[in-house]
Amino acid sequence: MYHSKSTKYKALLFIAPFLACFLIFWLAPVLYGIWISLNDYKLSMGNLGFVGLENYKTIFDTGSVYHTQFMNALKNTFVFMAISVPPLVLISLGLALLIDNLPSKLKVFFRTIFFLSYAISVTAVSAIFLWLFNANGGFVNNLLMTMNITNSPVNWLTEQPYAWFVVLISTVWWTIGFNMLLFVNALDEVDGALYEAADLDGANSFKKFLYVTLPEIRNVAFFVIITTVIASFNLYGQTMLITNGGPARSTTSLIMNINHTVFSGNQLGIGSAMAIVMGVIMTVVTGLQYWANLKINSDGPKRKRKGRSKKSEDPALVNAPLPYQVDGKETMKK
Amino acid sequence: MYKKKWGLVLATSVLAFSMAACGDDESEESTGSNGTTQIKFINGFTGGDGSYMTKIVDDFNESQDEFEVVQSQEPDHYTKFKSSQYDLVIMHESNLETYIQDQMIQPVSSFLEGAGLSEDEFHPAGLAASTVNDELYGFPLDIHPLTMFFNEEVVSEAPATYEDLVTLNNEAQSSDPNLYALGIPGSGLVEFYINMIAAQNDIDLEQDGYLNFAQEDFADALMIFHDMVFEDEISPAQLGLDGEFQTFMKNPEGGGKQAAIALTGPWYFQAAKEQYGDNLGIGSIPQIGDGTATAGNAHILAVPSNVQDGAVKEGVEAFLGFLYEPENLVNWAESGQTPTHLATLDLVSEDPETYELAAQNLEQLDDYVSMPHVYNYGEQMRYMNEIVFSKLVSEAGLTKEALMTELEMATEEARQFSGQ
Amino acid sequence: MRAKKIKTIILVAVASILAVMFIMPLVWMIFTSFKTLGESMSSSALLPKNWTLINYINIFNGTSDAKMILWSLNTALVTALGTTLVIFVDVLAAYALARLNVAGKKLFLGIVVIALTIPGIVTLFPAFYLFRNFGLIDTYAPLILPYSAGTLGVFLIYNFLRSFPRELEEAAYIDGASQWQVLFKVIFPTIRPVVTTLGVITFLAIYNDYLWPSLVINSNEMKTLTLGVATLIQGSNFVNPGAMMASTVIATVPALLIFIWANKYFVKGVTNSGIK
Repeated sequence: MYHSKSTKYKALLFIAPFLACFLIFWLAPVLYGIWISLNDYKLSMGNLGFVGLENYKTIFDTGSVYHTQFMNALKNTFVFMAISVPPLVLISLGLALLIDNLPSKLKVFFRTIFFLSYAISVTAVSAIFLWLFNANGGFVNNLLMTMNITNSPVNWLTEQPYAWFVVLISTVWWTIGFNMLLFVNALDEVDGALYEAADLDGANSFKKFLYVTLPEIRNVAFFVIITTVIASFNLYGQTMLITNGGPARSTTSLIMNINHTVFSGNQLGIGSAMAIVMGVIMTVVTGLQYWANLKINSDGPKRKRKGRSKKSEDPALVNAPLPYQVDGKETMKK
Repeated sequence: MYKKKWGLVLATSVLAFSMAACGDDESEESTGSNGTTQIKFINGFTGGDGSYMTKIVDDFNESQDEFEVVQSQEPDHYTKFKSSQYDLVIMHESNLETYIQDQMIQPVSSFLEGAGLSEDEFHPAGLAASTVNDELYGFPLDIHPLTMFFNEEVVSEAPATYEDLVTLNNEAQSSDPNLYALGIPGSGLVEFYINMIAAQNDIDLEQDGYLNFAQEDFADALMIFHDMVFEDEISPAQLGLDGEFQTFMKNPEGGGKQAAIALTGPWYFQAAKEQYGDNLGIGSIPQIGDGTATAGNAHILAVPSNVQDGAVKEGVEAFLGFLYEPENLVNWAESGQTPTHLATLDLVSEDPETYELAAQNLEQLDDYVSMPHVYNYGEQMRYMNEIVFSKLVSEAGLTKEALMTELEMATEEARQFSGQ
Repeated sequence: MRAKKIKTIILVAVASILAVMFIMPLVWMIFTSFKTLGESMSSSALLPKNWTLINYINIFNGTSDAKMILWSLNTALVTALGTTLVIFVDVLAAYALARLNVAGKKLFLGIVVIALTIPGIVTLFPAFYLFRNFGLIDTYAPLILPYSAGTLGVFLIYNFLRSFPRELEEAAYIDGASQWQVLFKVIFPTIRPVVTTLGVITFLAIYNDYLWPSLVINSNEMKTLTLGVATLIQGSNFVNPGAMMASTVIATVPALLIFIWANKYFVKGVTNSGIK
């Protein structure tokens, strides 16, 4: 019914407002950004002329300092991605499951607590962790030393792997609420009847999670993973303000390096080229994730069908109208 | 359908390139509503010192009605300066050469004349800081040298030499093993330390427009910071960002290592004063290298290239003429900065109570060694700031040979960033 | 039954311990905001020895440049309009992508994801030049409009709608509902939790944005709260943990209230709870 030709144009109507905003405020600036990356563009002096792919050559020229810094930052960014994505996804899922199993009165309270830190700006988050983990008499070191866990202060910010640890823990603390909220939303969507059916099958909690919950929240989990990978790739404020890229540039991230090239180094052209290379790398990484997701989808249809079949076999679900349906009909009649 | 989509892409491209075409030039008429000429003045004086500059600006605006100085105080004022037009800008000495080569600022001799000032009204250190290739590129405002704060309860006499520091450290250590003479930071102000030790050892880092760190003498000079931490142990090891000041601010109950003195920036004066009150001592920095010299940075009032003549030029001159009247500029000394205007310095030294810090720091002006004026100074220094210096204070086994290897890498980065 | 009770108690206990860990840095932040400059730098004790309001006083009227009320009004206007705009365009687009027969849908979805991967610095200066050419620097326009180009919301809502059964919309069509009715009466109530999530993160993104406003705003009167407070306390040569924390407390409280207010919209209404 809604595949007719007239709805095709209607569809365009629905998309048009977003499309307009996207074209003007994203695509046009990006195209211009690509143009800048093909020019010798200084932030202060403006365009000094077309140089073709020269800026890109600079980034890939092994003798160039821009190359050394870019590759170092790329490596650091991948390190951070590797150490941050698993905890950011798993801990947030764990928190969401925990909240989902709490009595409903307490749900709101704990959901608010775990989301609170997301409301704070990165500047403040960094200031907090910078002072908490100050090696010389900071709160954490004092705590560890009074509890006799360590007898000499840990150089949290000036030694690896501690510096990564602080960056990681501040990131987890700061951003976990967002992922958690998405999982809470998703768990909320899971039909209670499915759990009841699993209970009748005698499934334990772990099996219920594996065979009922997980298939139902797959789409959201995929979304969370993709956005977390992208967010980790965009690491900036925490390393900028907590470790200042140190010790010895080991936490300098790509965005930090690009911003530095543009703002302090004045090289808007080279910086734009770096950002576009970064975007391409990121697109490839995201594409791989999509491909992996598709592959898992096609490799594991059995499990999925099993989950679905349970749903349709449940007589209560097949025969009774869905609660939303009832609601939808009633509200529309008004 | 597809035609439509391509139409959109085309339209977007046109939009993008129309931005490219007219993205660079921008001219705005700067006339106020009631016929006054507006002078757009941008500086980075956020935080403590901003209100003192605001007072001078407000006083000027009240004193006449021909011009109005519109001041912007922005944490990222260099970025704003690069992306919009202003009529007067505060520059650091370290950035002067860069902005000259990028044709963002112009020589100011004619402005100096127009403001009724002459070069001999300024302290030579201020003039040297504002001069590039024998041409004056800005009005010297102040110099903020590396400053010594000390805790008078522990330090009876301000240390003047390296030996004094060692003695002080022994006394401090015997009273409390957590008390050191001073703290050497791992990052933050280390650029001042690097320039200071180069100046005291009479080493010129500049060579053909870039900073040549790979000099044997310089490696020897730098090793003294390593020795201060690991050999004479007059500073704790592994202090991070702003470590020199944080150790000074620690109090015994707070836990952690403390320092009796701090070699730091004068902008920390308010905080130090709050912590130590009347027990806060201020002094010239001790002689750590071969001779006495101090380093730091300078604020300079520079005139953007777009200010040519007419009303705006007159306005800039009028404002600068007003600012350099000693009773106005002395406000700036009150903020803790040390003006390089001689008549104002006289006022400062007459009243050392009010201008405590400036009165003390003006004694360092004669020893102030201008920093190297090179293109992209900040970028050229970056490897030193981010890697070399933190190695000095965190790697116990660092040898001079290993240091030289690092200095060569620092030099290579500096050479590339210099554009030479 | 008893086993279930014990399980609940254990879960609540675990949640409480985690909550304390989560809240600790915030508690530390609040207490630090009541410390004097000297104390905040010198001691890492949790509680201030001498409580002081000086950090708050300084922000509210210590300097003549602080226009807290004006900045708050700017922020309220900008975040309200910006968030509304984002929700409006994103919901429509995501609905069309998930449910309607859009030409070039796959391509469009690809662009939506790729857009997420391009770092913002590419568009920062071009977007700045765009607004400058149209003479919109130092106006509300650049503070509101550009956020609408973000594709995260479209991607987010699309993903939720995708896993949501179509049966109930089809039933509504059979009942003769129009497309708009289906959108507002069927779709919107079901995606309300995720729209609320989008609303809150968009609000926070606009609220906490610093770099972009600092570029497009010149006058003190047009600043947002985040930008204004940052200007007051973030001197390049000035570090005061107490003042920083006080400003953060001030900046966080409105965001917090919004979040608590939005809480009831995070979960689906009565319709769903009936079945559980």
